[in-house]
Amino acid sequence: MEIAILFGLIITLLLVGVPIAVALGLSSILFLLVASESSLASVAQTFFEAMAGHYTLLAIPFFILASSFMSTGGVAKRIIRFSIALVGHMHGGLAIAGVFACMLFAALSGSSPATVVAIGGIVIAGMREVGYSKDFAAGVICNAGTLGILIPPSIVMVVYAAATEVSVGRMFLAGVIPGLLAGFMLMTAIYIVARVKKLPKGEWKGWGEVLSAGKEAAWGLMLIVIILGGIYGGIFTPTEAAAVAAIYAFLIANFIYKDMGPLAESGGGSINLLKKPWALLTAFFHKDTRDTLFEAGKLTITLLLIIANALILKHVLTDEQIPQQIAESMLSAGMSAVVFLIMVNVILLIGGQFMEPSGLIVIVAPLVFPIAMELGIDPIHLGIIMVVNMEIGMITPPVGLNLFVTSGVAGMPMMRVVKAATPWLGILFVFLIMVTYIPWLSTFLPTHFMGPEIIIR
Amino acid sequence: MSQTTAKGFFDSIEETLIGAILGLMTLITFANVVVRYGFNSNILWALEVTSILFAWLVLLGASYCVKVNAHLGVDAVLNLLSNSVRKALTLFAAALCILYSVFLLKGGWDFWAGYANLPGTTGRWFPTGFESDFLGKGWYETEDVVMPESLQFMSDIFNEGERYEKMPRMIPYFMLPFGFALLLFRFLQAAIMVYRGERETLIVSHEAEDAVEEAAAKLAKGE
Repeated sequence: MEIAILFGLIITLLLVGVPIAVALGLSSILFLLVASESSLASVAQTFFEAMAGHYTLLAIPFFILASSFMSTGGVAKRIIRFSIALVGHMHGGLAIAGVFACMLFAALSGSSPATVVAIGGIVIAGMREVGYSKDFAAGVICNAGTLGILIPPSIVMVVYAAATEVSVGRMFLAGVIPGLLAGFMLMTAIYIVARVKKLPKGEWKGWGEVLSAGKEAAWGLMLIVIILGGIYGGIFTPTEAAAVAAIYAFLIANFIYKDMGPLAESGGGSINLLKKPWALLTAFFHKDTRDTLFEAGKLTITLLLIIANALILKHVLTDEQIPQQIAESMLSAGMSAVVFLIMVNVILLIGGQFMEPSGLIVIVAPLVFPIAMELGIDPIHLGIIMVVNMEIGMITPPVGLNLFVTSGVAGMPMMRVVKAATPWLGILFVFLIMVTYIPWLSTFLPTHFMGPEIIIR
Repeated sequence: MSQTTAKGFFDSIEETLIGAILGLMTLITFANVVVRYGFNSNILWALEVTSILFAWLVLLGASYCVKVNAHLGVDAVLNLLSNSVRKALTLFAAALCILYSVFLLKGGWDFWAGYANLPGTTGRWFPTGFESDFLGKGWYETEDVVMPESLQFMSDIFNEGERYEKMPRMIPYFMLPFGFALLLFRFLQAAIMVYRGERETLIVSHEAEDAVEEAAAKLAKGE
């Protein structure tokens, strides 16, 4: 009963336009003041410890910073050029290249809307030029953009790991196979449609172009090698890996790609470092650097504020033993893991339409996780299911977030984007069912590389 | 005119601070990795300082994000409503945000005050006065953070003249009441702006909204 009031309050506050962070925090504070002995001072302490006491969460600002340095237009362009060189000559080549570019970009950035903006902004226009319909282009990119949160590094996975205390390294590895699978399912579908509809194919420019485009893109793509290699090679923790990645991205953006900073010229050209060696110092204080730091900081603040408040909520839930009570009543009602997973699917699909994924996961995870553990579901598998669910929530009509973003980027009315995205949505649904009921897809890599998981209840 | 320059000035202080804190966190963490592999050593205070800066970033930045309307929320329902109903609901939401900041400000003060030899407030929900009886914890130090010599004057005030070996906790925790006070101020300001019709909502629905607007503007220009 209490739990229904608490969650009812949160949802009501969200719907009247209270920021997510405040809705979570205020509901939890009211609940604590009425129903428990805790003082406001202890709430403030929880708040401070949310940042200062969670080493895992410290990875988030660094990942955001790294992807901000990498999200300049130049990197997206290089990735797209590489993708086109590689697969552009196939039937439906440009569309397949778009999906491939989204997959690569997802490995640099941890956010889906950001992927749609960066890749979609360029590819949709390009596809129209060579004769694809606008709807086809928007539908494809809208779906492929959701891979942003599934292919590591992913901010949503870091949030899940912090909320449920599983390992970030395992979550990242677990996302690899499903991420590739979803990408290839989309590409295969496009290829089939392209054969049937006789969609245009580009020309093969030879291995030279692949190599030279690949070399250009490699500087950016090295980022994921540093992150994954560093974590699994045992060189650094995920948090340190993120910080190293941020510094690396800063150096690449300023001194190799020269898209920003003292060596960039407004016309798009660049200056040789030897002619301006003091740039090595001024880059740290350049306006572009300052702006990128600030933008990344702003995004960090809004996400972390939600997470900090969700941790107050988690504090309430654990204090009141609420998840345990629900788990007990579910088990005594004879609920099986399969039925439970379907419920989780539905809740997240609905929630994912309205809310930013990181926010949703911190609310739902503390509630769902203990129940899933009772039912014997693998924590890593559960995490991947949740991530995939939110991916799909973002493109499920009527209000998925990626639909909004695509409608903005492509300059199309919302309803047209919905129509354009729906056929591809079917593929992702099949994918969701596969991920939910074939745990192997998520657990194989982490178990293979990091040993079997020890589950502590 | 003078008002706009003053506003620009505070904007740039806040933006620079947010960027600088994040930059510092990154550099310290990176430096620690370099020191570990390059010099087989360890910066003892690196982790704790980074964690404190992280908390400061969020506490300090929360109010700024109210000012520039960057907080994430759900606008699906609000978008369906007429302007007048939306305004009424948003005012109601603003009142709740103010209540939230008052709770946090009281909590933040109560928590910090003990570490700064100051009285906490009485009252469970709202501050009703100051405690007359309290135990100062001004001696309580952080684990590893070095105390700068220039701040040692604090030991006379808060620690009966005994030198601090590490930084006392009152310094990192100070950001709690300070950040929440700023948050309260910004929510009050936002509420007034909504009331006057200078601002429509307190939320955005996703973090890429600016970028999408830019892209849409480009399209409109026919690029």
